[in-house]
Amino acid sequence: MTPLEGSHGPTITRLLVAGRGEVAQRIFASCRSLGLGTVAVFADPDADLPFVREADVAVALRGSTAAETYLDATKILAAAVRAGADAIHPGYGFLAENADFAQAVLAAGLVWVGPSPAAIRSMGSKVEAKRIAVRAGVPVAPSAELRTDDETDWYAAADDVGFPLLVKASAGGGGRGMRLVQDGDDLAAAIQSAQREAGSAFGDSTVFLERYLTGARHVEVQVFGDTRGNLVHLFERECSIQRRHQKIVEETPSPGTAPETRERMYAAALALAKAVDYVGAGTVEFLVTGDGERQEFFFLEMNTRLQVEHGVTEESTLLDLVGLQLAVAQGQPHRLVPESAWDDMSDEETFDALEDDRLMEVVSSFHAIEVRLYAEDPAADYQPSTGRLHRFEPGRPGDGSRVRWDVGVTSGSEVSAFYDPMLGKVIASSETRAQAARDLAAALRSTRIHGLRTNRDQLVAILESAPFLAGGTPTDFLELFPELTAPQPPAELLRDHLVAATVFGALSRQAASPVWRFAPSGWRNVPAVQQTVTYEHRSGPISVAYQRMGASEWTVAVGEATALVRVFGFEGERIDLEIDGLRRDYLVAAYPDSSLEDLTASLVCVDAGGWSTDLREQPRFVVAANAGGEGGTTTPVPGTVTVVGVSVGDAVVAGQTLVVLEAMKMEHRIVAPADAVVERVLVAVGDSVDAHQVLIVFTPTSATPSGPTGP
Amino acid sequence: MQVLPSRLDPRSEEYIVNRAVLTAALDELATLHAQAAAGGGERSVAKLRSRGKLLPRERIQLLVDRDSAFLELSALAGYGSDEPLGGGLVVGVGVVAGTECVIVANDPTVKGGAQGPTAVRKGLRAMEIARINRLPLINLTESAGADLPKQAEIFVPGGESFRRLSQLSAAGIPTITLVFGSSTAGGAYVPGMSDYVVLQEGAARVYLGGPPLVKMAIDEDADEESLGGAEMHARTSGLADYLGRDEPDTIRIGRDIVRRLRWRKAGPGTVTQTPDPPVHDPDQLLGIPSADVRQPFEIREVLARLVDGSRFEEFKPLYGTTLVAGWAELAGFPVGVLANNGILFSPEANKGAHFIQLCNRMNVPILFVQNITGFMVGTRYEQGGIIKDGAKLINAVANSTVPHLTLMVGASYGAGNYGMSGRAYDPRFVFTWPSHRIAVMGPKQLGGVLSIVARQKAASMGIDFDEAAFAPMREAFEDQVERESTALFATGRQWDDGLIDPRDSRTALGLALSACHSAPVEGTSTFGVFRM
Repeated sequence: MTPLEGSHGPTITRLLVAGRGEVAQRIFASCRSLGLGTVAVFADPDADLPFVREADVAVALRGSTAAETYLDATKILAAAVRAGADAIHPGYGFLAENADFAQAVLAAGLVWVGPSPAAIRSMGSKVEAKRIAVRAGVPVAPSAELRTDDETDWYAAADDVGFPLLVKASAGGGGRGMRLVQDGDDLAAAIQSAQREAGSAFGDSTVFLERYLTGARHVEVQVFGDTRGNLVHLFERECSIQRRHQKIVEETPSPGTAPETRERMYAAALALAKAVDYVGAGTVEFLVTGDGERQEFFFLEMNTRLQVEHGVTEESTLLDLVGLQLAVAQGQPHRLVPESAWDDMSDEETFDALEDDRLMEVVSSFHAIEVRLYAEDPAADYQPSTGRLHRFEPGRPGDGSRVRWDVGVTSGSEVSAFYDPMLGKVIASSETRAQAARDLAAALRSTRIHGLRTNRDQLVAILESAPFLAGGTPTDFLELFPELTAPQPPAELLRDHLVAATVFGALSRQAASPVWRFAPSGWRNVPAVQQTVTYEHRSGPISVAYQRMGASEWTVAVGEATALVRVFGFEGERIDLEIDGLRRDYLVAAYPDSSLEDLTASLVCVDAGGWSTDLREQPRFVVAANAGGEGGTTTPVPGTVTVVGVSVGDAVVAGQTLVVLEAMKMEHRIVAPADAVVERVLVAVGDSVDAHQVLIVFTPTSATPSGPTGP
Repeated sequence: MQVLPSRLDPRSEEYIVNRAVLTAALDELATLHAQAAAGGGERSVAKLRSRGKLLPRERIQLLVDRDSAFLELSALAGYGSDEPLGGGLVVGVGVVAGTECVIVANDPTVKGGAQGPTAVRKGLRAMEIARINRLPLINLTESAGADLPKQAEIFVPGGESFRRLSQLSAAGIPTITLVFGSSTAGGAYVPGMSDYVVLQEGAARVYLGGPPLVKMAIDEDADEESLGGAEMHARTSGLADYLGRDEPDTIRIGRDIVRRLRWRKAGPGTVTQTPDPPVHDPDQLLGIPSADVRQPFEIREVLARLVDGSRFEEFKPLYGTTLVAGWAELAGFPVGVLANNGILFSPEANKGAHFIQLCNRMNVPILFVQNITGFMVGTRYEQGGIIKDGAKLINAVANSTVPHLTLMVGASYGAGNYGMSGRAYDPRFVFTWPSHRIAVMGPKQLGGVLSIVARQKAASMGIDFDEAAFAPMREAFEDQVERESTALFATGRQWDDGLIDPRDSRTALGLALSACHSAPVEGTSTFGVFRM
């Protein structure tokens, strides 16, 4: 399937990917299979991510924000020179649809893996793209440009478009600069805020209005062109299920698009691509409304890059889109022949084509579904979750299932707040949609992700939901089925996870003890006190009391109910437990916060029964800083008062300097041990004080002392 | 090494009866343990809790490593006396920050933690265990001091306890005292004699004389805080090395102190950290000891449920067969085992003496499993030199320097108790099964002896022996001996370190062996003269 050479275009020997994470890894993989050298660029927070290590060489961009790094064209071009790259692939996001950057790459004498700057530019403006679409005969949703800052004009435009409508950034993408407006009341505010966001995100505050089609599906057509003018479509992808206008589930074929609609969309997509002489991989996005013969579609926008969701097309067609991008960037033909084209050929042509084994028939052989795994908390309004990803262990679906992991992180990776919180994508493909959904759900359920919150449970719930399986997936799917947003494990399973964490913890401590390892856990010849542990769960603190009852029997009380537990096996992170008659394996991993054994809390993650539970095991002891003497702060040393920083009635906060002493030629600061109000000041500047003398008396305003008294 | 076979038949009537009797004894034991753990009763416990304080076993729970075992000793000391059950003192061996320590905790719900003779004796025993096994000692102190009505009984041994504490420190064994409340008068010397002292802020009171005594003695009006408050001792007197914010914080500091000792055990340790459990089910131990102590039972059935993998290499199996000798591992520790399988004769005594010398040569601890009604008597045996031979065994036991552990599983009568390293022979630990009987002699034999002596006395005085009049006397005496022979009576007097459930024997002995290995395990070749 790899395109063969045979062109007179430029040659790529070493490719720099101006992106990060999983897409960089995806592109490097194609480079490796083609024997091309690879160059990564990386921002400081990404220094330890796998994509940096996977490249032959890497160049640091120095900096943390996207603007300082992946969006800095000058730095990236300098990196290409430094590393001897002769081509640049922009990945997606960042500079992928920046025509000026494409232009600069070409001007620097490098190969640009992507469409022409002109094509990028004309499609980059959504307003401009719509004009081209109209000219090409492609149906567009009712929309209106905003030519003035006059609110009256805005309302007029809105009335033309009709409510509900979307305010969209012309230069936008990824849901940014987009606002849904239900009626006229919110219009002006929505436009202004969209303008602000678009301005800061894309440097272009142009917004336009577009009819919001309720109950519509988001369906897009993958197109592919080469420099010889060969333009083909590679079928469609449906990406209707979105959270906040961000796609999270993508699949092909679209379950809700009628065959005739599909063919019309392919034709429309090719017409649009032809209008801009499109080269390389591109995506034409449509909204589809209605069913069957009454189905309509409207052009939304064209993405002039490799899409995040290109993998579903690859898994369905078995093509290597990145390999094809690299081929056409070097002036080679893509040699793809669409399935339908065969029907139009004469017998002779068909025979010749079959003889020419360099031609590839494009067939959609599998149903493929992709989900995007995000480090975010759907239950907390999709707040990104950042920090250390202690563990990322891809799940194991059943034998014979086809599951692809495009993941940019690994166990131990740090996920920073600087970039998109997507950890990666998981794609399952199968002969049937239902099987692909099952395989994908199974893979996600058995994935171990520790340290960060993710949308995994949400994705599983979607894949297993009846409306999804029935193919009913409008873009407001998650609003229609809010119960899928933050599904909770069955209460009994949560209890079982707590039991497993508890028994596992007890057995682990026993196994780690330097002495008495042979003795049964918590053994007492005079029973009096139960073993207890407290976990912090997102539902609140949970105390567990437990007791070993026999060689392998335990009782474990979570809340009111006591479970009878038998331990069948305990090895590594696996504990095989029977809890109230139901036996299964539990995987338990603990990550202590520090090495202070008595004081450290641990993150305990339990994976079993298709769910994962995060618990914070509370330390046995807590340390509060030593407070001053009751009601007063004393000096630890004899000396002379040089400063009295407070007077009676002052409110002080913990750690605030109250008095400065000079003693033994050293300055000693006496600070407030707690938030308090000064009741009496017993010293004045110039006073000589004895050690332990009370200097200031106050009444605490908070119960817990939080600072040391001493200097 | 052979795996001991078992011929035990759990369906036999004998097994069922034995098990029923022992199970009843275990029920009684559980009841008594619960009673001891309940301390001074509901009201005093509620009062303690209302002051935010912890019970002694809760303090211990927080002090020892999470999920580690705790081997409590002499929980039923004081049984059968007018003393509180357990004496108001909790004593045991536990693991603190990975280090085995002896832990002594006052129970403030029992007479305010005041110490009577039982508590003093328990405390002395705890210090002896710390000394001989080289275990750091941790006191969890909250005590009203001496139990004044019993002052006459404790004045001297109480003084000894401070001497012992000081000597522990001199021997290089760390002594740590955490004070949660009163530690006054003589009790003030507990922190005073300790290497490390942590006082709980706002709770610890440590002074020689409280406000009333000070008023009486020198007519000074003093408050408790200035006389012995934790703050005062931390800032002014310097008695406190650390100030704990509350009970858990005080305990946390205690754990930090032990952790920083970086205590290294001096014994050779285990041969494996993951010993095999016995092949035969330890649960069946309940059906082995005869309900009637006069009925012998096969001691190898006990060993088969005690030692690792039930593996036992028997020494001289064909000679002196009523004393089983051999080598095994228990909880991964190599041990020599001497176990009674009947009455002791001369060959048994010689075999035992020989075996004890071998264990001393090899520096291997010895486990004595007692089920002994005594040395054989009678003309034939006296003439055969049973005294000389018994003396050899007692000589070897008395002078052996490897750790001895004694497990009493059936009967322990007469000099057999001595030859098998009974309490008087300073074994490191002694544990008793609740069905055990211990005395100079069995009640029937003692009653019979008494009756014969009375008969002879009557004959020598030339009066008729009134059988009918003597019978109730004999019966009363036999009842008294029977009562005083029980395991409960013995443990009440601290003739052992506690009663244990037979099924816990391996765990208790393993913990004890491990504790012994905190000190060097060194045998001797120096014994008294063996009379040949």
